[in-house]
Amino acid sequence: MAKFFGVVLDETRLKEIKGTPLEEKVEPIFGGALKRLVIEVPDELGQKVIDQFTKARFDARGFIEETPAAFKRLVFKKIVEKKSLGPEVIEAAIEEIPSIKDQIEKEDRELPVPDIDISDILELQKNPVQKPA
Amino acid sequence: MPDVRIKTLPPPHGGKLVERVVRDPQMARKLMEKCSAVYDIKPTLFKGNPVRNVYREIMSVCYGFFSPVEGSMTKAELESVLERRRLLSGWVFPYPILFDVSEEDFKKLGVGPGDWLLLRLKGQPFAILEIEEVYEITPGDVAVRTFGTPDKNPEVVRVPFDQKHTGYNIYCSLNPIILAGKYTIINEPKIRPPFDRFWYPPKRAREEFERRGWTTVIAHQTRNVPHTGHEALMKNAAYIGDIKPCDGIVVNAIIGAKRIGDFPDEAIVEGHEMLHLAGYIKPERHLVTITLWDMRYGNPIESLLHAVIRQNMGISFHMFGRDHAALGEYYDIYATQILWSKGIPSFGFEAPPYEVDGGFYIRPQNIAEFWYCPKCLEFAYSDNCNHKGIYSRYSGSFIRGLINEGVTPPPQIYRPEVYKVVVKWWKEFGYPFNNEKYLKEREEKLEVDMPHMELPAHLKK
Ligand SMILES: [Zn+2]
Repeated sequence: MAKFFGVVLDETRLKEIKGTPLEEKVEPIFGGALKRLVIEVPDELGQKVIDQFTKARFDARGFIEETPAAFKRLVFKKIVEKKSLGPEVIEAAIEEIPSIKDQIEKEDRELPVPDIDISDILELQKNPVQKPA
Repeated sequence: MPDVRIKTLPPPHGGKLVERVVRDPQMARKLMEKCSAVYDIKPTLFKGNPVRNVYREIMSVCYGFFSPVEGSMTKAELESVLERRRLLSGWVFPYPILFDVSEEDFKKLGVGPGDWLLLRLKGQPFAILEIEEVYEITPGDVAVRTFGTPDKNPEVVRVPFDQKHTGYNIYCSLNPIILAGKYTIINEPKIRPPFDRFWYPPKRAREEFERRGWTTVIAHQTRNVPHTGHEALMKNAAYIGDIKPCDGIVVNAIIGAKRIGDFPDEAIVEGHEMLHLAGYIKPERHLVTITLWDMRYGNPIESLLHAVIRQNMGISFHMFGRDHAALGEYYDIYATQILWSKGIPSFGFEAPPYEVDGGFYIRPQNIAEFWYCPKCLEFAYSDNCNHKGIYSRYSGSFIRGLINEGVTPPPQIYRPEVYKVVVKWWKEFGYPFNNEKYLKEREEKLEVDMPHMELPAHLKK
C-alpha cells in the first residue's frame, strides 16, 4: 500500500503555484472549503518520514500525519522548487530537516494563539445546563 | 408478541452496582485505625513521563464504573482475565486491574495478606486497600497477553505490540509486586472544574436518566474535540432505539494520562458540551460525562471496558466505529466491529459479547463511517454515498495538523463555537494540544482536589 503526504493550501500557497502545472493537481476537500496537494510515496519512504519525528504516524488511510508544521512548510517549498508531486520532493525535504531543527523544537512548546473573538462562547458557558452534583 | 419497547435501563454488569465510598468521617477514621501502613500513590512512568495513575482506577472501581470489579485483582483473577477475558465469577472483563508497588516500596511497607494499607493521594488519606494476596508479575508478559499477538490472535492482531503503543507501555512499566484486594475510598476527592459538571458515576447517571425519562440511551466513546463528522455519527447512530430514536445521547470522555499531541481533556469535555450550549443537540437529549481511566488504546479489548462502564451507567446502546480506541495499526481497523458482530474466539468470544455467558445487555451499533460529500450535500454514510473520489474523510490527525499550521478549520469541519472552545484552552495552556508541560502539570494537579483529613496517630511517623 502506498503512503501519502498532504499539504493544505491557504491563499498564500495557492498564489505561489498559480499558473504552474501544480495548479491542476489541487484537490478540493470538504466541498472546496479546503484545498490540498497530495504526494504519493512508497511505503519505505513513508516510514522514513515517520522515523524523523516522534509524534508522526500514519492515519487509517495511509496519510502521514502529525509531522511538524515547519516540515510541511519545507515540503511545500520543495514542491514549488521541483514543480513536482513525486517522492523526490519528500527525499529533498528530509535532507534539509537539520536546517529547520530549531523551528521544530519551538513548535513543541509554543504555537501562536489565533486572534479570534471567543466572547460569545464564554457567555454561553456562564449558564451551563449540566451542573456539579 | 415480542415486546418492542425498551421500558427499563439495563441492569448493571454483574447484577449489582459496586459502590465503595465511605462518606462518614467517623467511619473513615475507624477504618484508618485498622491500617498498618501508609503508601503515597505515585504515577506509573514510562521513560520519565507519567502514563498512568492508579488513583483513576481506584475511583472507577469504587464509584462503580467497573462493576462488578471491587479492587486489585488476585493472581487467579488476573490469569482468568488474560486467558479468557472473564472474572472468576464468569462476568466479562477485559483488562487487568492491579495495584503495583516496587520491591523497594514493598519492603519498606512491611505489609502482607490480611493487612490494610492506607493509600494517600496528594498528601491526604484517600482510600484503603484490604490486602488479600501479594504476588509477582512479569510486566512485559502481562502487557503482551493483555493486547494479544499476531500468532495467538490472528483474527485481529496484525503486528506485535511495541514501545510506540501507549497502552502496552503502561503494562510494561508496572512495578513487579501486586497487592491484591478490595479498594474503599474513605476521603471523597472533589472533582476539579471543568470536570466536575461532567462527573456522573453510574448511580448518578441512572438517577439522571430516570429524572429525564430516558430508557433508550446510546453511548459514544470520545477522546476528541467533536468535529462535524463525530456529530453526524452521534446523531445518526441515535436513530437506533425502539419505536423511536434513542431518548438520550451520552458522550463519555475517558479522562486520564494522554498522548502528547492529543487535545487537552478540558477542551474535549467543553467541546462536547458546546454542542448543546450552542444548540446543535438539544440539551434535554444530551449528556456529557467522564470516566477516569488512562486509556490503553486496546481497540476490541478497550471496547469491552467501554461496554462495562456504559452499561453500568444505564446505557442500552453503544456506537462502535472503525479504529475504535485504536492507536497505530496493531489491530485490524474493524477489530472492534468484528468482536461485536461475530466474536473473536482467541480472546474468549466464540460469539459477540452480548451473546456469551457473563456478557452484556448493551447492544452495539456498529457504524462504518461518515464523510463529507459535496454531491450528496451532507455528512453521508459510507454505505449510502457512492461518490468515490469527491467525498472527504475525517481524520483527527489531519485536523490537528490544520490547527498546528494556523489554519482555522472551516465550519464544514468544526462548528465555530466548538473551535472557539479549543482556542479558549489554547490561551489557557499556551498550546492547543497536550505537550510535555501540560502532561506534567496535569499529573501534579490531577482531576481532583483532596480535602484535608487527619492521619491516625499510629500512622504518623
Ligand atoms: Zn455522496
